[in-house]
Amino acid sequence: MNRHSCIALMAIAGLVLGGIVGTARAEEGTGQLVSKANESIAAAVAAVEEARAAIENGKQLIAQIPEDSELAGEVKQMVVAASENWKVAIAALDGAKESASMIQSASSSELAQDYALLATVNSGVALSGAKVVQTGLLFVEAAASNKTEALDIIRMAMQDSLAAASQVQFNYGRVKKLIAEKYSK
Amino acid sequence: MKKHHFLKKTGLVAMVVAMASLVQVQAVVDMAAATGTLADIAVMAVQAKANLAAAANSGDIDAIADATKRADAIDAALSEAQAALAATESAVAQNDEAAAAESIGDVDTAWKKANDALNGAVPEATPKSLKEQWKESTTNTGSGPGQAYDPPNIYDVPWQSAGLRAVYAAQFGNVYVSGGGSFANSTSFGDSDATPE
Repeated sequence: MNRHSCIALMAIAGLVLGGIVGTARAEEGTGQLVSKANESIAAAVAAVEEARAAIENGKQLIAQIPEDSELAGEVKQMVVAASENWKVAIAALDGAKESASMIQSASSSELAQDYALLATVNSGVALSGAKVVQTGLLFVEAAASNKTEALDIIRMAMQDSLAAASQVQFNYGRVKKLIAEKYSK
Repeated sequence: MKKHHFLKKTGLVAMVVAMASLVQVQAVVDMAAATGTLADIAVMAVQAKANLAAAANSGDIDAIADATKRADAIDAALSEAQAALAATESAVAQNDEAAAAESIGDVDTAWKKANDALNGAVPEATPKSLKEQWKESTTNTGSGPGQAYDPPNIYDVPWQSAGLRAVYAAQFGNVYVSGGGSFANSTSFGDSDATPE
């Protein structure tokens, strides 16, 4: 074997080895992205289940509040806000699961990262929506048990929660737009 | 002809360099990821409020105090992250790589603060949010760290600029303080003797 063919063989071996190492790293990276996305989805699923239980509890509590109660109007507003956020949470959770399922089959590591980001942020939308539902129904619970001192704090917490949850949704929209712009160039 | 060719060539080089530097700034800053981080801080803010509501419903005073501190600290971190992301956007628009990298670091620092406030120990001193600081700076609540009561600015001309009005207010305040802090006081300026004897 002359010197040239020896060098060529070494180069080919280097390329093959580099390719194997590169693929292994990419798979490891994708695995990490999948586990990170799944972690955030699991947190959102837990919050949604808690919210579901709170809704079931709230249905019974609403019956305890007299129709002529001065809190009846406010309770109705809380229930409407909770209902809207419940819909958002369920839709966002489905979206997060769909994005997470695309990570493995992504054609590049960059695309996989973007799917993971979408899954994480969408899980955040679901989690925040579910937490808003829980806060709203805590108001119903406090109203039903006539906890007047708690009502003021919960009322304020709900207002802040709604503002922060709409920020989460707004930023999710921005993330989606930024990612879409990246691939439309 | 030769000159025209040279200009064309240097123009192309300049364009390539400009595009390369833009790509470099965009490589340093992943705006989508930074926006995702901001969204994550907002999620923590919602979680903190839900915890506060749960504490209020339980009636546990200590739990309410702790939850309030945590929620306030997260609100402050959210304000910081919003300001940092706006600064990052501006730095990217101006192609300022160093400033972009610095402000993107601030977004991550704010996330860490929020995460510590939600999951770590209860924050001792609650930092004020930027909005609160701004509100305090523009409102005379009478409970500021300086004087117990800011004197009213009698020279206030509403249509003048805010800067000019602030100068007048400061001048009036100085005169007011030099007079003992009260015009009703008999020893205030105007009532004191011109000479010691």
